[in-house]
Amino acid sequence: MTKWTDLQSASFLESNARDRALGLVDEGSFTEFCGPMDRRPSPHLGVLGDAVEYDDGVVTGVGRIGETPVFVISQEGRFIGGAVGEVHGAKIVNTVRLAIEMLDAMVAKNPDTPEAHKPIVVFSFETGGVRLHEANAGLLAHAEFMDQVQKARGKVPVIAVIGSKVGCFGGMGFVAAAMDAIVMSEFGRLGLTGPEVIEQEMGREEFDSSDRGLVFRTTGAKHKYIMGDCNFLVKDSVAAFRAQIADLAVLPIADFEAMRRIGSEAAVDKQLALVALAVELQPKDSLDVWAHAGNEAPAELNDAPYEEFIAKAQRLAV
Amino acid sequence: MALNQLNFSIENASPTVALGEAFHLGVVGSGDLEMIIESKEQGGAVSFQILSPVTGFDDLWKRVADAFVRESGLGNAHIEINDNNATPAVVMLRLRQALAEATAR
Repeated sequence: MTKWTDLQSASFLESNARDRALGLVDEGSFTEFCGPMDRRPSPHLGVLGDAVEYDDGVVTGVGRIGETPVFVISQEGRFIGGAVGEVHGAKIVNTVRLAIEMLDAMVAKNPDTPEAHKPIVVFSFETGGVRLHEANAGLLAHAEFMDQVQKARGKVPVIAVIGSKVGCFGGMGFVAAAMDAIVMSEFGRLGLTGPEVIEQEMGREEFDSSDRGLVFRTTGAKHKYIMGDCNFLVKDSVAAFRAQIADLAVLPIADFEAMRRIGSEAAVDKQLALVALAVELQPKDSLDVWAHAGNEAPAELNDAPYEEFIAKAQRLAV
Repeated sequence: MALNQLNFSIENASPTVALGEAFHLGVVGSGDLEMIIESKEQGGAVSFQILSPVTGFDDLWKRVADAFVRESGLGNAHIEINDNNATPAVVMLRLRQALAEATAR
């Protein structure tokens, strides 16, 4: 097992799900729910002759950052692409439910509980969405999770963290977009339909999924940051993600409303304005939108290292 | 169609290495595996439980397990492996890694 101090400087991109979960919270504070020792593999995969994992591809648990209880969900992309099946789904849904129950119990006991003592949920995505082997259960889990996010709204901040190899795609892209805040590193990718699927359906002229530059310019975190699809862009280290979460953990819950992408009339108006802008601009590449946002040399900005990008990038205002 | 389950024991009359608390290691990625390694009093033997999508290599699994037990001197242990098409070299590597990390704690 990797040491916590070593994990902090480790690349978030290269870290597996359990290391990310351990490293995002304070040293030694993580307690895993339904871990590998509990032996809860998928009941469906084995029957189909596919490999099983005791934690069903997701690490769930609770730890602390300072005085804040942090409920952590961390998906493992190397196990069936981090896809959501029945057990995996039950674990992620119930982790949010537990966070809400904890808050309710705290507030019932002490209505003046300080913000920093109230729980938050952090979800480290690495997934392509539904696991097709158990698709009904997987889809249901997506719906149940969205339901929990709505129940958590105005109570428990639910924060998406995206910086792993697989990115966050499929139904889980919708789930991330429905959360309160999204933190990404430049290696994070967020979208609905994955690049290969777009190419398969629409043809290579529409989207060449072998063009990694194009894939990252379209789904990558720099673009998401400029578009406002992600709230914060951090460096690729466990410590950098952790520091951003620590900043968010102490904020009053009301502050998260302004960070949300959906769920208010203002958010709907903003999305409609973006659609109108797309019609007006007819962009051929994301860099066209970057230029419209006021970035004079978008191609250079795209290649810029983190510090330079953060200092120079103009975010799209609609 | 279902996963291939393999259960066998490798005898070790004079174990030189014993385990502390149970230990988990690995990710069931493609060509990789996870394992739980824990102590179990059973007259020196090391028992294995392997779940793998691969069939027809039962003898090879036993040979790798046997080589590992003889090389390490491990005894009185139970090892559970969830395999996803790992090659014998990877299996051996993970077994050594698990033992090294489990005994270092």
